[in-house]
Amino acid sequence: MSFFYSILFFLWFFISHAHATSDYYERLLLRPLPQSALLASFNFRSNASSTSFDRQHFRYFPRSLGQILQHAHTKELHLRFSLGRWDDENWGTRPWNGTREGGTGVELWAWVEAETNEEANSRWLTLTNALSGLFCASLNFIDSTKTIRPAMTFEHEGKYTVKSEKNLHLLHGTLPHEVVCTENLTPFLKLLPCKGKAGISSLLDGHKLFDATWQTMAIDVRPVCKQDSLDCVLEMEQTVDMVLDIERSARPRDNPIPRPPPLEDVECDTSKPYNAEDTCFPIVKDSEPAWSVTGVFGRPIKGACPLAENYHSQSSGMICINVPPEREVIPSSELKYEERSHNGGFLRCYEPSAGADFDLTLPEQQLSIKAPIEQPRMYASRSFTGNGQERGGVRAVITNNSPESVSLSYLESLPWFMKLYLHTLRTTVKPFTLSTSTEEDAHSDLIREVYYRPAVDRHRGTHLELLLNIPPLSSLTLTYDFEKAILRYTEYPPDANRGFDVAPAVIRMLSSSNSSLHGGSTYLRTTSLLLPLPTPDFSMPYNVIILTSTVMALGFGSIFNLLVRRFVAADEVPALDSNELRSKVLGQIERLKRSFRGKGAVGKED
Amino acid sequence: MSVDGGQADGNDAVTTPKQPPSESTTATWTRLLTITSFWAIAVLLGLPIWWRTTTIHRASLPLQAMNAWADGQACRPEFPLKIAVESAYISAADAQHLLRTTQHAIDDHNEFSAHHLRLLLSESTRQNNDSQAMHPPDVAGLDDTNIALTIRLVPSSNGNTPRASLHPYDSVLDVFYTTNQLPSPSSTSSPLATFIALELQNLYGEEKAILAYLLSSSSSAAGIESPALSREVAESLAKRTTRSVKSAATYHLTFSLFTPNFQPSDWAIEAALEDHMTALLQALAPISNFTVDTQVQLYATFAPSIHEPEYDEHSKSWVLRREDLSGFINAAEWPLSPSIGEGPTVNFVLYVPSESRTPLLIKENGGDSWLLPQWGGVRILNLPTGNDKAHAASKRLTKEMLEGPFFTFSNQLLSLLGVPETPSSLPLRLSTLVRVRAASLLFSASSTLGSLARLTRALPSISIPDTVAESVDLTIAHLHRACDDLREGKFQTALENSRIADREVEKAFFEPAMVGQVYFPDEHKVAVYLPLLGPVAVPLIMAAVKEVRKAIARGKKSR
Repeated sequence: MSFFYSILFFLWFFISHAHATSDYYERLLLRPLPQSALLASFNFRSNASSTSFDRQHFRYFPRSLGQILQHAHTKELHLRFSLGRWDDENWGTRPWNGTREGGTGVELWAWVEAETNEEANSRWLTLTNALSGLFCASLNFIDSTKTIRPAMTFEHEGKYTVKSEKNLHLLHGTLPHEVVCTENLTPFLKLLPCKGKAGISSLLDGHKLFDATWQTMAIDVRPVCKQDSLDCVLEMEQTVDMVLDIERSARPRDNPIPRPPPLEDVECDTSKPYNAEDTCFPIVKDSEPAWSVTGVFGRPIKGACPLAENYHSQSSGMICINVPPEREVIPSSELKYEERSHNGGFLRCYEPSAGADFDLTLPEQQLSIKAPIEQPRMYASRSFTGNGQERGGVRAVITNNSPESVSLSYLESLPWFMKLYLHTLRTTVKPFTLSTSTEEDAHSDLIREVYYRPAVDRHRGTHLELLLNIPPLSSLTLTYDFEKAILRYTEYPPDANRGFDVAPAVIRMLSSSNSSLHGGSTYLRTTSLLLPLPTPDFSMPYNVIILTSTVMALGFGSIFNLLVRRFVAADEVPALDSNELRSKVLGQIERLKRSFRGKGAVGKED
Repeated sequence: MSVDGGQADGNDAVTTPKQPPSESTTATWTRLLTITSFWAIAVLLGLPIWWRTTTIHRASLPLQAMNAWADGQACRPEFPLKIAVESAYISAADAQHLLRTTQHAIDDHNEFSAHHLRLLLSESTRQNNDSQAMHPPDVAGLDDTNIALTIRLVPSSNGNTPRASLHPYDSVLDVFYTTNQLPSPSSTSSPLATFIALELQNLYGEEKAILAYLLSSSSSAAGIESPALSREVAESLAKRTTRSVKSAATYHLTFSLFTPNFQPSDWAIEAALEDHMTALLQALAPISNFTVDTQVQLYATFAPSIHEPEYDEHSKSWVLRREDLSGFINAAEWPLSPSIGEGPTVNFVLYVPSESRTPLLIKENGGDSWLLPQWGGVRILNLPTGNDKAHAASKRLTKEMLEGPFFTFSNQLLSLLGVPETPSSLPLRLSTLVRVRAASLLFSASSTLGSLARLTRALPSISIPDTVAESVDLTIAHLHRACDDLREGKFQTALENSRIADREVEKAFFEPAMVGQVYFPDEHKVAVYLPLLGPVAVPLIMAAVKEVRKAIARGKKSR
């Protein structure tokens, strides 16, 4: 268990050591996961001293982002682009303990410096609009209905003086519907000093990144100060974490359709009774699959980024791979490279030279010891309950997997058209073991605090934040009901029948015995939900106009005629017999003919 | 209304059709009243409501005044330049006489009535001679800020006289003369007076040409006669006008270091800016504000659309073709996005080619810098290659290495701002720029006013918010002030006023509420109105027609 933590601690130590001295730093960690998945965790850090940042002299820190932060008076920024789902049960704990990931879509939170709330809101709008242009994302749609001010779930990472901290406002917005794609990656890469042309960033390619089972791109900007001094730097950390399917990624790009392997290459399980010449049950391979960096990412690493300080200094290395010591790893490069081994061989790091391609190849191998996967201490899932177009419910299950009780904060940011009934909020706890389940604990202290800000139609979404306590080895079920609002005709999106995305809930574990080890808290996000709302027929306005008009005309016509017409007996009306009608019509026709002929004659005379 | 029962018997029915009993007059009157009251509601209540809810709000604009400005009838800009003459060695009477003769000489040669020079005796000269002479009549309203140039008369015994020398960092012209060149009280001309007149004409020749070009090219200045310019002069002025960046209150200057490699990744930018830019920007402060930001960008590749540099054996250098210079900036990949905030961004790019492609020059003229009109300037810095020292130097660009490029950049900045090339004194050139800027802003604001007037007339269905009307009023007020300031020779305030006018009129023209035009196609209107109005209108109209017919018939009968 503690083994993985030691690796993390090791990396953390080197990162924190590195950022104290250098201005640019990058690292890639590769970790094979079960079921032929591969976690690739990219980390880039660039620093700018606060004096040069204030004077707008940018070197490693990108100018475009720096100017946005200055313009919007933003002191700390966290931006996330995510896609897919992290499989907790198979893949273990999340990279960076979930601090560098976001919910599906786009998530943004920032500490904005402002005197008043109104000023903070207007600066937040400036920030979202500017970032929307920079990252080609719909961030400008984060308006007041999608913005909340979380109270407990987020804490700033940077260092501030007590005075400046007073004027900081935390604002948080999500866009769960946003589809993250290549147009977001290109500006992300442009922010890097080596721009994807050298160093580990050369592996980042939209085709592979957005084909991943799970991926998250993160940008974190925070001021970092040396201890007890005013010598501060503004640190920007860019993180890309992705889980690739090795088999899927290794498919050649010109022939991407998966095809079954030829029969000769399939190894059959001969122990099966039906095994015969024409029937074959393929053996489930126990061995580690063969893969290489070039195969998985489609290209080799184009040498080191020479700006990274760890390129020269004695650090743990630029490219690290976390595999058991007996696993064979074959590095290849035209120029010299350095290799170091840490943690009893479980972490091998490589330091390639600049200017030459670098590749790692791992052949297929049968291993006696697998790299341990640490089980996460907590799982969470969330789903809709209920049926019908009017009401619904949400049920979130949070499982505490650890032998100690955990306190956590649970944050929901719901759209305004999902109207929460707070009085229906219920929690139940169910321990894993049968012995204690008899009491079906009515723990009174499950919910310790509730922070609730109700929605205002079309202006503000619901903000619900709970401080929860979960006893050891038990799961907590949280349920509440809500009502679905009816939207206006123009408020529906073009694909109204698809439903509306509801942002993931953010869960933060607060007390943790070894939180000091990896500096900070653990975050967990549920998946986003798709809320179906009653959808009208969109040709409705014309139908309504015609129907109401008809009814009004009917009423008007009858009343008007009643008032105006004179009613007489039927035999008093001069009868209009058919002969008379005929002669009348014929007479009219004759007159028309004559007038035509007359005109024609006049025309001829002229 | 009342059902009148038939009272005739059966026999009549067979022979003659039964007539309905004649209506009582009250019944007819009630019917008539009913119909008129329906019509009254429809016309007096329905129509106004419909009118009020469907009309577009159009604030009234002073169209006539706007057109007057656009046609140049509202203002005839003049540029009276005050030139102080300082002469500590001449008596006031002599100085006055010299002044008068020189003024005559200047006025005789001036063919551009809007731009004229007025000579004045300077404060110090007056004080010197206070005891000797009366106050010259011509010095009223003389204050230092509006003096365009000071002529200092210095008696000199050696060298060929008269001669003049211009201070490069001061708006002072020294004129050396010998006493015999002073005009005698009886004569109307003297060599010194002619000389000064000629010298001044040379100094302000370019300014006159620019202003004349501005007047001739702007329709808002149609009423002012300006001297005809030769074709070459007009062409070069047109080129300069298209090259210079749009006038604004704030400019963002971005200095970027680009290299296709990873070296050099650092530069002594703060020291270089301190040495070469700060003083210049301070001098330019009366014209505009400037913000400065810098960045270093590595691994910058050329755009695929341009030809890669070729090696030229003859000059032993890599050459770029002239037609590729405009595409040299790889707009798609180089992060040269405009700065945030109001005002245009002027980019200065320092490109350090990779060692394998040094030196990199322009094929046609062997130069290493060029200007991109309205965008910025590029300078290629070829670092020395070969030895170890050069290699070490290539990691970080020192202040000394940046000296040349920053000299280029400051020249490029001046020409991008439209600063004239002559005379050699920088303050004079800048004061010329103030006048040119004020005039061009005045004209552009006027012509935008005209466009706005035409737009509101051409599109009757766009709404005009009140803010637009307010902006237009403000614009016209500031245009008046700017025009008056120009006439009085207060060019700095004229610039400020015309800048406000230009900003306001742009705001009015690009008002977002006006840009989004409400468009309802006719089919849409028919589909909305017909289902309601059709069934309601038909009975109303039919009843009215019937009543009118009856009334006519009744009229005939009674006659």
